[in-house]
Amino acid sequence: MGLADSLDAYLVVAGLLFAIGTFGFLARRNAISMLMSIELMLNAVNLAIVAFGSFVESLRADGSVIAIMVMAVAAAEATVGLALVIAIYRNRKTPLVDEYDAMRQ
Amino acid sequence: MRAWLYLIAAGVAGAVVTTPALAVFFLFGGSFDDALFAALTTLMLVAGLAVVTMRDIIRCGLAMIVCFLALAGIYVVVGAPLVAAAQVLVYVGAISVLVLFAIMLTQSKAGPSRLVFQTQRAPAAIAALVLAVVVGLAAISTDWGELGQRVRLGTEVVARVLFDEYVLAFEVVGVLLLAAVVGGVFLAKREEGPR
Repeated sequence: MGLADSLDAYLVVAGLLFAIGTFGFLARRNAISMLMSIELMLNAVNLAIVAFGSFVESLRADGSVIAIMVMAVAAAEATVGLALVIAIYRNRKTPLVDEYDAMRQ
Repeated sequence: MRAWLYLIAAGVAGAVVTTPALAVFFLFGGSFDDALFAALTTLMLVAGLAVVTMRDIIRCGLAMIVCFLALAGIYVVVGAPLVAAAQVLVYVGAISVLVLFAIMLTQSKAGPSRLVFQTQRAPAAIAALVLAVVVGLAAISTDWGELGQRVRLGTEVVARVLFDEYVLAFEVVGVLLLAAVVGGVFLAKREEGPR
């Protein structure tokens, strides 16, 4: 059968995880839920990168290196994003993004 | 009474995760790696769905930890143990704790927490489904050319590439992390009070 030996299986799984993250980002009201959905999407892309690195001869170690770089950038993004959410929460007293309407008025 | 409900829920979750693996292993004659891949994939996708659909945001954060751990297992199966170790360290160890802290800092009993989803949840679900189908079809129908065998990558090989070809990117990522730390502290710092 060779499910774990086919690149397509990993790519389909990565696509499914990315779609789950997209749904969460578009549909959740809580800002931290949206950030968690972004983390899911980043992880899906990372899975695709690692799978390519494992199966394509010319990308052998590059896939792992790029995935580790993406992880570091994702950590930076999570830090700044969560700090922003906490700063906004301190002003507006709510974590729900549909109540951040100060610039609409 | 609640304990029994939790036990039943845990049993159902375990059955959901192990059924595809057992089916792959016994019905379709897959190898042990295939069964492991099926189990970890199912666990990861179920936990990911729990992250975006559960009402209690603390449980969403805990489901995210499960999702990241299962993904680390998939990295081991695909043959990148160093990435799996980094995944556990960075995501399970650091980012999840950061997210849980942020959740606990921004939880308010007074806020209307009944409505978890925006009003555009149905179009969002349709868009996500379309995206999944399109990406899956594109991945399956594309001819990727000459594919090698799945190989386990040792740490030494990755380290040689990381500190030789990618050393500039490595340094730039260090500067980026420093900037992110300074920016995060500045943003989350309280404004009032003497400096």
